[in-house]
Amino acid sequence: MFRIVRMPIVLERLVRAVRDPAAGAVVVFLGTTRNRNAGRRVVRLEYEAYGRMAAAEMRRLAAEAERRWPIRKVAMAHRVGLVPIGQASVAIAVSAGHRAEAFAACRWLIDRLKAIVPIWKREHFRGGRVWIGPQSGSPSRRPRAARRPSR
Amino acid sequence: MRVRLVFFAALRERMGARAERSVEPGTTVGALWRALVAERPELARILVRFAVNEVYVEPGHRLANGDEVAFFPPVSGGAQEAS
Repeated sequence: MFRIVRMPIVLERLVRAVRDPAAGAVVVFLGTTRNRNAGRRVVRLEYEAYGRMAAAEMRRLAAEAERRWPIRKVAMAHRVGLVPIGQASVAIAVSAGHRAEAFAACRWLIDRLKAIVPIWKREHFRGGRVWIGPQSGSPSRRPRAARRPSR
Repeated sequence: MRVRLVFFAALRERMGARAERSVEPGTTVGALWRALVAERPELARILVRFAVNEVYVEPGHRLANGDEVAFFPPVSGGAQEAS
C-alpha cells in the first residue's frame, strides 16, 4: 500500500497491509505536524504532492529496502492538503522476521522519503506562509511576524 | 512535437499547475527549462528538479513526443541533496 491521501491517515490500514505470518515484528513510524519550527509558531501545515510520481517513488524505495534488508512488507502513506497541528502527515509500516531489520528499514525509508519523494511542505503561521526547503532565494510571501523570538 | 508541462510548489505559483508546449525533436529537459527562464527571468532564482513521465532525470535527458515534463523545487526534507 503506497498512497497519497487527503483524509487523516488511518494507521491500522498500514499495519494490516504489512501483516505477514512470517513476521515477528512490525515497526511503524508516524511523522506528525509540529507547532513550532525555526523559532516561530506554526498554526498548520500544508502538503502538496506530485501524486502519481510520489506513489511510484514510494514503491521504488520499498523495493530497494527489500533488497537491502530481509523484510517482509512495506506500506507508506502521505497526507496532502491542510493538516492541523498534532496530526500525522506521513506513516510507514515495515514487517520483518525480526525487529532489527524492521527498525533499520523503517528509519532508512523515512529518511529517503523526505529526501526524494516529490512532496512539498508549506508552513502557515500568523502573518504568512512559506514553503519549506530550498525552493528559491525569496519566499513568495515573507512573513512579517516570522522573526519574533520563540516564547 | 508536443510535451505536457507540470509545475509544483513555488514553481506552480508562478507558472500555473500545467501547460502544453511545442518543442523541437531532440530538445533536452535542461534546454526547455532555459527557454522558460528566458521568457520569465524571475525563474532563474528558483532551484529546480526535473522529472519526465514521473521519473527523475538529469538536464541532458532528451524529450519525446507526448512526454509529461515536471518542474519542481527540491523536496522539503531534501535540503542536503544538492545538485
